[in-house]
Parts: sequence; structure tokens; C-alpha cells
Amino acid sequence: MDDISLERIEISGPTLASLIQRVSSSPADVDGLIFGQIHRIVSTNLSDDSPAESSASSSSSDQIVATVTSFICSGKTVSFYDLLGRVDSRRVDSLRVASPDRLLGWFSSRRKTANRPSMRELAVASSLSSQFHIPIEDSENPRSTNMASCVFFLLTTPSTEQLIHTHEYRAYQFRSSNQRLEPRSLGIVNIGPAFRGHYGSFSPKSGFPSLICELNSSAMNEDRDEGSLSAKKQAMKDQKEMDALADGLQVENLKRLVGAEAANYTGGIEEMYERMLAKVESLASEVEKSSARVLELVQSLLQSKNSSIQVLIIIIGSGDTDLQESIDEASPVFLFFGSRLFPS
Amino acid sequence: MAFEGFPPLIADQLHYLLNHSPDSIKMENVWSGNKLNPKILDRFTLVIPYCLDTIKWDVIYNSEYAMAPPDFIFGPDDEGFMPCSSATAPHDGQTSLLSEWNNQDATLLLVLIQGLRDQYVAYQQKRVGQVDDDRVKFEISTVLTRKGIEMQMISGGDKPEEVKFAVPLLIDMGINKLVVECPWKHEQKIYLQVIYPILRKYESAPSAPRLRLVSSSDLKALFSVEDVKLPPWMNGMCLAEYLPHLEETLERQILEAVSAIASRRGFVEALAHFLGRPLEADPTFCRKASFLGASGPFTFVVHFFFPAQFPKQQPTLMLQSCQHLNQSSVPVKSNLFTKYPWSPRWEVGRMAERLCDFLTDEAVNFKKYCNEALLQY
Repeated sequence: MDDISLERIEISGPTLASLIQRVSSSPADVDGLIFGQIHRIVSTNLSDDSPAESSASSSSSDQIVATVTSFICSGKTVSFYDLLGRVDSRRVDSLRVASPDRLLGWFSSRRKTANRPSMRELAVASSLSSQFHIPIEDSENPRSTNMASCVFFLLTTPSTEQLIHTHEYRAYQFRSSNQRLEPRSLGIVNIGPAFRGHYGSFSPKSGFPSLICELNSSAMNEDRDEGSLSAKKQAMKDQKEMDALADGLQVENLKRLVGAEAANYTGGIEEMYERMLAKVESLASEVEKSSARVLELVQSLLQSKNSSIQVLIIIIGSGDTDLQESIDEASPVFLFFGSRLFPS
Repeated sequence: MAFEGFPPLIADQLHYLLNHSPDSIKMENVWSGNKLNPKILDRFTLVIPYCLDTIKWDVIYNSEYAMAPPDFIFGPDDEGFMPCSSATAPHDGQTSLLSEWNNQDATLLLVLIQGLRDQYVAYQQKRVGQVDDDRVKFEISTVLTRKGIEMQMISGGDKPEEVKFAVPLLIDMGINKLVVECPWKHEQKIYLQVIYPILRKYESAPSAPRLRLVSSSDLKALFSVEDVKLPPWMNGMCLAEYLPHLEETLERQILEAVSAIASRRGFVEALAHFLGRPLEADPTFCRKASFLGASGPFTFVVHFFFPAQFPKQQPTLMLQSCQHLNQSSVPVKSNLFTKYPWSPRWEVGRMAERLCDFLTDEAVNFKKYCNEALLQY
């Protein structure tokens, strides 16, 4: 993999605005992932000079430009890497969920600090760009080459009160050759005549909003009063039963219903429902048979023993085991209370 | 120092760091990264002594996750300092300290900072080693065997590049042990600061380095390094040649300074025969003493300030009246007396006697001066 230098990094005005809004509304420092594309732009300099000179002056120059299209904010720090800055690719995948965009890099936001990369941020950028790659899209040369996901955005607020501005941002590219984060100019693409050229390379898209249905991961939920301990236990028990019934299907997997792999996935869900229905039906017939047996047993007991014996049948069953099993277990537990022992 | 505003776990670590670090680390500029409650502080700048100068590192905790170890932002010139990078340090003490951070242990921040500082020493040494200058390369190769040497690249803006060495001198001497009832908490140290200008292409001969002696601040009570005359730096000399001679001179002067304490004490004791017991005296270094004197009904206090080179240099005197207050209710004081009959060759009894003769005469003048000072108002 070549260590290719980015010419510049571009971001659309609304994306930058929403990024700044997101980090400035968070209670503390946050980080997140940045998605986008990398293009090779070949710009030809035409000149009016004589042809002899023009061969030199109209040389086409290659520019590698990264374009940020979207981002995901984790809502906290140390979200997809550990305290040493080592990126965990599984945590990256769970954070990016079904985002259709390609991973371009990441961002970090911290208040009241210098706008230089920190020790951990450098380590994260290094680890991320060694694990994730993004193809360079090149219209003239479809044979695509890859480059590392090396873009890093740093958003800070100034530490001195005297300054007028309230937010600072910088874009960096991590270079594996010298293990440094090198600053890159950040171009903000806005709608308008001056930016028509920029929009040529934009591929318009309106993807589904990513459906995050993690159970209790959001920082917002933590404050909510979850009720007493017993209520929590009950909820956990219920969840366990549900999970057993769902045949190993996690709630998180439901989000696969949205997005590219939905078509093959709906088939799987339907199949699971059919299996569950068949199971319920067989269960019902088992219950029917066993209750008939219980009735038979009770009647024969009443006939054979002294009529003054009272029979108490206790069926011990626990909610999470199969009903058939619980009947089998319960059958020997018949308790006899002789009226001879308790003369009335 | 107040640690209010820091979450308790962070405050404990910070408190331990500032009180127990051997290099007297200081804190400046505290900030809050919390939007909802900006009174909760969780980030600050540490001023860490390095190479007879200081480096500033920003320490960033997160008040929302006070259990986690801090992150660091190093100085703007230290981009290449990457202690956490997997490429430079795969598995050592720092990384395990960070990954197994125990927020209950108040000592860990200090351990972490010291570990990072050690790595910083190695980083600066590497930078200096890469300088394309034959003399610096030679000096490094010959002087590196000395323990505790620190070096630094100085390259800022338009100024020519320089390499700075801080060489600890007389490490084995143990200055603290020489002083009876030594009041110093930290071991006193003396460094030689050597600054080499980096040779530019068009220059032919290297110029002499700039030399300066620096000591820890408490040492002044015993011995002032500013009074030491550095041996001259010969053309073509190197540090390994220069240092032994300098250390020899310094050692002799420090021993002299220690013995000077005894001669000052003897002088104060001799004065007691004439002036009575001192009101106040510095018992460890005997650099100050105050006696009560009387001339007829006029009583006054005599303050003695002893130079480190006593008895070669005579003490400085100041008189202070017990009976005259000026406008702002402060006792009237005389100017400092530095010139009066004195010879370092006299024995202490003679010195005290001659000094008291001088005081007897001067007391009359001082009384007159006090009365005049009062009349002005």
C-alpha cells in the first residue's frame, strides 16, 4: 500500500454544520467515525501559449481528494478503540452499523484544549489507517487502488476566553511513512455558482437513516430511572425467555431488515417464524395429551385409595423450561395427606 | 493548593503528583471540558522541569469518565514524540499502565508522568543525535556515560539551531549530607548548562559553547554558583576534558562553603560576649543574626547579614530603632553598612571587638538620624 498524500479534504457545508452541532451539544468530549469517498481528480491546465510551450504547461496533474459525506458520533470517547488507542474492528463495525458509506477516518472533539492531536489520537489514527482501507475512485482508470482510512478531524473549543470564535476545527491526514498526522486544508463545498465544479464529483445519495437499536448503550438511557432491583430482575428474566423463544435471533439483527441485505434476510425471518409456529403447535398437542394423562391418574387414584384421603397435586414447573419436561418432572411429586394422621 | 472543582479521583492523583514529584512539577491553567457543569475541572497544563528549562504538557481527563486514564497533548515542537504509538514502543511499562489503569491508586499519575518524561529524555537524545554536526556527535559519544545527562534541540523561528546539554555535576558528593541538620527536602544539585551553536555550512571552525552553572534554588543559602568563576574553554576542547577540572574546583569551593558555616557560627558566638545572646539567629547556615544593642537609654536592634564568603567578605549591618516609628508605624532603619574596619586575618574575638567599637560610634549617629527623621513629620 502506497502512502499517498491527499491534496485536500472536502466537506459539504451542511455536513460540517451538523458535525459541529452534534459535538457542541454533547455534554463532554466525544468521538466518532467519518464516511466518504476518495477521488483522483485529473486537472488539465490549458494554456493559450504556443504549442511548443504548451506541452510543458498543460501537463495534467493528479490530485487525490477526500470528500466527507457523513459521520456517526459515538456520544462518548474511547468508543471504538481501547485506552492505548488500538482500534477494535468489531467495535467499529457495531458503531457504523448499516452505513452504506465507506469509512474515511474518524474525528475527535474536546473542549478547552489545544488544537493539536493528542497522544492517544495519534495512536488511534495510526491503528485505524492500518486496519481499514478505502478505494480511490478514478473515472479514467477503473483499476482501483486502495488507500488507508487516514482522515482525522479535530474539533476543539479555544482555551482562552478572550477569543471571539467558539469553535476550532482542523483536518489531518495520517501518514504511515513518518507516523505523523499532517494538517490538510479543508475545503467546504457549498451550493452556489462558485462551487459548481465541486458538485461534479459529488455522487448524490439519500441513504436510509441508520437504525440503531442497541438495547441500553446510549448515554441518554443511563439517567433514566430503571425502577427497583426486582423489576430489573423480572425484566431480565422476561428477556431471557424471549431470547429462548427467538431461537438465537438477536434484536440487533432486526436492523438488517433495512438496507442492502434486507432481501435475503426477510426470507430467513419468515422461516424462523414458521419454525416457531410448528413448535408451538406440537407443544399444544403435548399439553393436551399430558393433561389427559393427569386426569386419568387422578381418577384411578381416587378409585383405588380410601375416599377420605385428600390428594394434593403440585406441579413444579419453571417458566423457562419446556412444558413437556416440567410435566415429566412433576408427575412423581404427589403428596398424600392421610385423614388418619389429622383426625378431625 | 486548592483542588476544588476536580472530581475526587482526579484531585487525589494531582495532589500526589504535585507533592511527591522529585522535579517539582507545577500546574497552571485549569479548564473544564464539561458543557453542563463548567465548574467541574478535568484538564490542566503541567509545567515539568526538563534540561534546566520547562516543558508544558496538557493533561486531559474526562469528568464524565473520571475512571479512565488521562490523555496528553505535548508541546507544539514535539510532534515526533509518540510514546503511545505502537511503532515506537510495543509493550512497556507505559502501555500496561494505561491499559490497566487503576483510578483508586493516587500514585499512578506521577508514575505515568515520570515514565513519559523518561521517554521524552530518550526522544530528545535521539533528535540531538540526528543533528549533522561533528562536534555534537563527538560530545554525545564521549559524555553519554555520565548519569542523568539531559539534552534538548533548540530550533525556533529565525534563531540558529542550538543543542543544549544539562550535565549534572558532583552527583556522588551528596551536598545534603555535608550540612549538619540539613533542612532540604530534595537533594541539592548543580548542573552545567552547555549550549552548542550548530555549525552552519559556511562556517569553518566551531565557536566555543556557552557555559553556565545552575543550581537548585535552595543551595543559595550555602553556596552561590554565580560566584564560581568557570575555568576558560580552550579552543578545540571537549566536554569530557573540561568537566573533571570544573568538578574539582567546585568540590573544593563547596567544602570551603561548608566550613564557612562553622566560622560564621564562631563569629556569632564571639559577638554574644559583647552584645549578649542574639535575639534571632539562623542556626543551620548562620547567614543572619540579630542582636539587641543599647547606647545609654537608646536601644536598637543590629541585624547582621553574612555573605557566603565570610570571613573573606565582611558582614553587612543594619540598625533598627526600638523607639522611633516613622509615619506608617514602621521602625526607623539605617542604611546598610558595608564599609567599616575589617580584616579577614583577624581572629574572631578581635573581629567582634572591633565591630562593637564601630557600633558604639555609629549608635550615636543613628540616634541623631532617628530624631531627625521624626522631626520631619
